[in-house]
Amino acid sequence: MAGSNEINASESKRVVPLNTWILISNFKLAYNMLRRPDGTFNRELAEFLDRKVPANTIPVDGVYSFDVVDRATSLLNRVYRPASENEDQWGKIELEKPLSTTEAVPVIVFFHGGSFTHSSANSAIYDTLCRRLVSVCKAVVVSVNYRRSPEYRYPCAYDDGWAALKWAHSRPWLRSGKDLKVHTYLAGDSSGGNIVHHVAVRAAESGVEVLGNILLQPLFGGQERTESEKRLDGKYFVKIQDRDWYWRAFLPEGEDRDHPACNIFGPRGRSLEGLNFPKSLVLVPGLDLVQDWQLAYVEGLKRSGKEVKLLHFKDATIGFFFLPNNDYFYTLMEEITSFIHSNC
Amino acid sequence: MGPEGSSITSSSGSSSSCSAAARAPDHHHHHQIDQLLAGAGYSVRSSQLHQVAHRLECLENVMVHNQNIPTHLPLQYHLANDVVHYNPSDLSSWVDNLLSELHQLQPGSSASSSGLPPCAGNYESTGWSPSEFHAPPPPRNGNGNESENQQPQEVLSHVLHLMDQEDSSIQLVHVLISCAESVQCGNLPLAGSLIADLQALLTRVNTACGIGKVAGYFIDALSRRIFTAVPPGAASFMSCWASEDEILYHHFYEAAPYLKFAHFTANQAILEAFQGHDCVHVVDFNLMQGLQWPALIQALALRPGGPPLLRLTGIGPPSPDGRDSLCVIGLRLAGLARSVNVKFAFRGVAASRLEDVKPWMLEAAPNEAVAVNSILQLHKLLGPDQVHGSSSVEQVLAWIRGLNPKIVTIVEQEASHNQAEFLDRFTEALYYYSTMFDSLEACSNRADNVLAEIYMQKEICNIVCCEDSARVERHEPLAKWKARLKGAGFKPLYLGSNAFKQASMLLTLFSAEGYCIEESEGCLTLGWHSRPLIAASAWQPASD
Repeated sequence: MAGSNEINASESKRVVPLNTWILISNFKLAYNMLRRPDGTFNRELAEFLDRKVPANTIPVDGVYSFDVVDRATSLLNRVYRPASENEDQWGKIELEKPLSTTEAVPVIVFFHGGSFTHSSANSAIYDTLCRRLVSVCKAVVVSVNYRRSPEYRYPCAYDDGWAALKWAHSRPWLRSGKDLKVHTYLAGDSSGGNIVHHVAVRAAESGVEVLGNILLQPLFGGQERTESEKRLDGKYFVKIQDRDWYWRAFLPEGEDRDHPACNIFGPRGRSLEGLNFPKSLVLVPGLDLVQDWQLAYVEGLKRSGKEVKLLHFKDATIGFFFLPNNDYFYTLMEEITSFIHSNC
Repeated sequence: MGPEGSSITSSSGSSSSCSAAARAPDHHHHHQIDQLLAGAGYSVRSSQLHQVAHRLECLENVMVHNQNIPTHLPLQYHLANDVVHYNPSDLSSWVDNLLSELHQLQPGSSASSSGLPPCAGNYESTGWSPSEFHAPPPPRNGNGNESENQQPQEVLSHVLHLMDQEDSSIQLVHVLISCAESVQCGNLPLAGSLIADLQALLTRVNTACGIGKVAGYFIDALSRRIFTAVPPGAASFMSCWASEDEILYHHFYEAAPYLKFAHFTANQAILEAFQGHDCVHVVDFNLMQGLQWPALIQALALRPGGPPLLRLTGIGPPSPDGRDSLCVIGLRLAGLARSVNVKFAFRGVAASRLEDVKPWMLEAAPNEAVAVNSILQLHKLLGPDQVHGSSSVEQVLAWIRGLNPKIVTIVEQEASHNQAEFLDRFTEALYYYSTMFDSLEACSNRADNVLAEIYMQKEICNIVCCEDSARVERHEPLAKWKARLKGAGFKPLYLGSNAFKQASMLLTLFSAEGYCIEESEGCLTLGWHSRPLIAASAWQPASD
């Protein structure tokens, strides 16, 4: 009802800076226009509205980027690297030498968010985020342009994530350290966080090494309505019915939210026992309506004997990390930095 | 050289100085635009944040309110399908546009009627009031605020599109660039020996596709430059018969979506600009085979209220063999126009260079709405020639503006092939045409492809082998064209979501997945795998 909507608007305005509120509200309203009740998606208007940026081999604030297409899969990966100290090298792409022969440089394979449906690797918000990961956390980032729903449902995003991981692992120019290997971490927000889990499982099953998983407000769910979903429905930018729409668009037709893609440790979940599963860093914003599912994921990891660190930020809304205008952003960056450098 | 500091000759060096210029914060702008939102792709003045937030709230309230009224068209549907969106980076205008569209949707169209809920929330000191709902929709091009606030990006971001490369391919690129470097330094003996190395490398890669094929063309072009005593004039790459050029053009038109994108997008914008006018006049800077115009003629025939009187002035090179090829095409188009009942008149202007065209040749009449259409032509005016102190492009832009056109549609290659240093141009071109060739390979029609490749090979040769006035393929990126047009007294006419939709539909006809259309501040680009390759924009004279 109009009245409660206004209350919600001022509520959410109280907990985030104004420019963040504008950014997320703009997404919310635009996305409302794009989702159709029949489950189809207005992809053209979505691509028109999405703000994209090109790669730039000239360093900006110490980071440069370039796009590479994996011929085998047609997947686009955008690579972000710190600028060479030698200005003569600016504008050149190094595709032969390793990242370093002396120290290990973490390579983060990053999956952008958007509930499996929105955004791309070259969306401005994600390009900027990846650049910050490079400069603040001292890593190299490979951002994956995975196929999105509803045009491409489960398991396409996971297939693409897995292909990208294997691709990154096979690049000689992503190797580092005295052991000259690719020091890989998986990271992602929202649906990207969900992809991280599933790609990590495949990697563990196949013996491909992943040193750590970073899940930022990951997208998990289930048939049951949890307490946080009921309490926070519509309060901080997100409604349950929106979440339902995205699951219906991603999961195979006719499936429900207890599908193992969605409900990791639910009745149909795949056990992690016996798997050499990497350590995880999981960020749960305290005002995200699906936090009960994210917390259940953390509990599930612990029960499976897997190492996990939980960052539960009480007053954080979804997407607080898009703009560096709050303490949580800086705390998160510090946590990620120590997570990826602790065993390098 | 001199007091300003050492001159930088390496490619990366010159690019980095460009980068510094682009990135040095202009303090005036720094205070105006919210920098964090800019990093997210949105242009909002810091002083407007509260206002924009307020309007977003209003928009949501209206959307929520209307959801509760079952007899109203689902608002989301209307906003997504019927409303035309422009320049989403300018959040303020975007939201205002939607709000005013919704206002027009309300029965009774009065803010005080029961159809519209009061917009709660503090009214702030910005003075927002319900009476703003009565304001007419904001002009398509905004107030010019948003575009002026952006830093003109001097750097064409080197979006390098690299496919998975074998070691030999990487070697090939390295040696090619070294060879170009030695050409730039004037070390022809070294350049010659590198050509030999390149020929050897070519035997180790697949030259039927990918980097191997493109490298072949560049090696060929470099060889010509190195081993020819007299620098080639542009004419040596021009066909003996104009018809040969036309054949190549036609195959390029069919093999890939670039020219069709140019035509569709320009036509959509021209159609909209001609709304409400009964006498319209299109000036085409390069008629070629007139491929762009049947669609416009048909669209005008179908427009509500009936078609206008259409005049088309087609500019093209004089026919060497005596036949008036411009006239032939004009007659063909006239036949089409007659068949759909559009009153049509054609005039051909034969000129070997655009600089030779004078406005009086176009016979523009005072009561007509004029559209000037330039597809891949303006860059040819960027050569060193000057007349009475002003460059060719300045002169031409000045007389275009003098025509007071309703719209100027401009499509140009999105590339930086006019840089001062040969090595920079060479490297850019190598990557640009690699991407172009790649995109062609993905489309399956082999017959069209071979001739389409020759079409591009001519451009490559011109960029690599020619200098001074012979070098006409002086492609510059959209950012530079924007600055140039603004300086010449034009302001942008935004291409909106309808043009975007048209262009997207065009892509579905091409089976290759990898083409992408992007909107950037009112302009549309078509690219391959995130690398924009061709950019379309529309302009109108700025008020004095």
